[in-house]
Amino acid sequence: MKGRKNRYEWMIALRFLLKGKGQTLLIILGIAVGVAVQFFLASLIGGLQISLIDNTVGSAPHILILPADRIARALNDSTAKSDNRKVLYEERTEIYSWQQYVDDLKKDPRILHAAPAANGSGFIERGVSIVPVFVKGLTADGMDIYKIKEKTVAGIPDPASDSALLGQSIADRLTLSIGDKFYLRNNKGDQVFLRVGAIFDLGAAAGNELVVVSMDMVRNFFAIEGVSVIEVQVKDVFKSETIAREYGRQYERVKLESWQEKNRELLTALSSQSASSNTIQFFVIVSISLGIASVLAIAAVQKQRQLGILKAMGTTNRSASKIFVIQGFLLGSVGSVFGVAFGLLLAYGFLAGTGAPFGFEINARTLLTPIGLALLASIIASTIPARRAAKLSPIEVIRNG
Amino acid sequence: MADMILKTRDLNKTYFGKVDTPVLFNINIEIVRGSFTALIGPSGSGKSTLLNCLGLLDPQTSGEIDFDGKTIAAQNVNELADFRNAHIGFIFQFHYLLPEYTAYENILLPCWIRGGKPAPETGREALRIMERIGIEKLKAKAISELSGGQQQRVSIARALINKPKLIFADEPTGNLDRESGHTVLDLMSELNRESNITMVMVTHDREVALRADYIYELVDGRLCKYLDVKKIGKTAAALAIEDRTCTIDQ
Repeated sequence: MKGRKNRYEWMIALRFLLKGKGQTLLIILGIAVGVAVQFFLASLIGGLQISLIDNTVGSAPHILILPADRIARALNDSTAKSDNRKVLYEERTEIYSWQQYVDDLKKDPRILHAAPAANGSGFIERGVSIVPVFVKGLTADGMDIYKIKEKTVAGIPDPASDSALLGQSIADRLTLSIGDKFYLRNNKGDQVFLRVGAIFDLGAAAGNELVVVSMDMVRNFFAIEGVSVIEVQVKDVFKSETIAREYGRQYERVKLESWQEKNRELLTALSSQSASSNTIQFFVIVSISLGIASVLAIAAVQKQRQLGILKAMGTTNRSASKIFVIQGFLLGSVGSVFGVAFGLLLAYGFLAGTGAPFGFEINARTLLTPIGLALLASIIASTIPARRAAKLSPIEVIRNG
Repeated sequence: MADMILKTRDLNKTYFGKVDTPVLFNINIEIVRGSFTALIGPSGSGKSTLLNCLGLLDPQTSGEIDFDGKTIAAQNVNELADFRNAHIGFIFQFHYLLPEYTAYENILLPCWIRGGKPAPETGREALRIMERIGIEKLKAKAISELSGGQQQRVSIARALINKPKLIFADEPTGNLDRESGHTVLDLMSELNRESNITMVMVTHDREVALRADYIYELVDGRLCKYLDVKKIGKTAAALAIEDRTCTIDQ
């Protein structure tokens, strides 16, 4: 019986809303605007942050595993004369047991790619100019970290023995295009003859200065026995610091650096941006709630006579308050659905109008959060008139006409 | 002894406020099942308050009400609401229909409150009552489109729909012109005879009161007279009403 009773409260709530069309439309519009603003802000800021993070670390390693231990080396005679230290500590520049690390890291489901890389500094000689370059030797996995395949603007991104992949800036500076040949020199004066296989654009300035060749070629050419670094890309970029710390405790002979350590300022900017956007969204919610509460409070006064009659006919206090909570729910749900639709329009309009270089983050979270919050706010706001409706005595209405 | 549907014992009602206002004093009345009873008295005599107490809309300050042999004692407001819905119909001076609904929908509202969407046979019953009352053509009309008499007939139909044991009417003709008033009263007495529903009506119109089987008169919150119209006849009843002296000593 109680279950069946529910329907009449819905029926009455709906009728009250439909009969007060102007008022209902106004409050739905109010909720819709609030939800639209909230959705727009959340997806705009979300999109902006994703695009910023993607530009910064999307096509770069998130964790670097670098050689850390220093090895003691005896001084030879000639140096010993001029240096009064007994022992010289030499920084290691290579990781020898890299294969073990890579195998271990690849087992972790949080890690997307783990690849060794060999780095070297060299010079490109072309005509009369000699330009210093940073040479990076990558494996196929390493290429995936830098998303070189996707970011290739010309040529075929396959570093064979005699071909090199060039960043856009370095290629432009040396006026090198696909198929062109050049000499690469190392610090010992050795040189190798390479052909431009592909040109890529990583978006970031540093990335576009790279000369990428196969790892084996770099190891041979720069006489590296191990690898220079193990580069790791994780699934959730924000977890990389935790992951780095975790592995840092396990791996004693290497040091781990996460992208966050190098990008503190960016992270601070992002978090303050989030905080200000959350503050705005919070006040939007507060104003929606106040709007709904005031409209429903007025409605409760307006419908006092009807409520008194319904109560005389047997409507319980609980049902009387339910009528208003249902109205709050209906206003909230219709308003927020319109709001999200309006927000989507606003977002697409904004993108089309400004040609912003980033997308909106539109997903279940940005869509459902404002809907959920508006619904919650509507229901909470409706408890004020609901309480009033529950308290109303039918006799007040009947005695006072 | 006659079968009583409603009985009060020492019913008192005081409105508490800055100044406490006692309105009813030790009211002991009995309503015969299936009868038509009128509560009369001058303005401010407490007859509407008594009706609201009897109708379980306004709780008495002290005293007891027996409804159909059971004492309605200290029930909570929600239980009383369910009880009113199931057993009591109301007709007020101002029709108190909901303007958001059509005539037909208003009649069905007590059924909605009782158990959700009314069954098709309840809908047919509503139509049958509308036909009986002569308002079947007003089915889809908005309340604002109806005349006073039509509105009052819709509220009579609404009072009947849940097949109550008792109908309380507070000045049902008070707001109507003479002709509409007569139609409404005729209808009420006919329904009382046809369906054996007990009716208790408040009126200050002595002519209207003489249509009832029994008359209680209130003066200053106290019972003053009790008349069995059938027994003493209308003429004697009319004379008794005119007489200012109270026959019930309190």
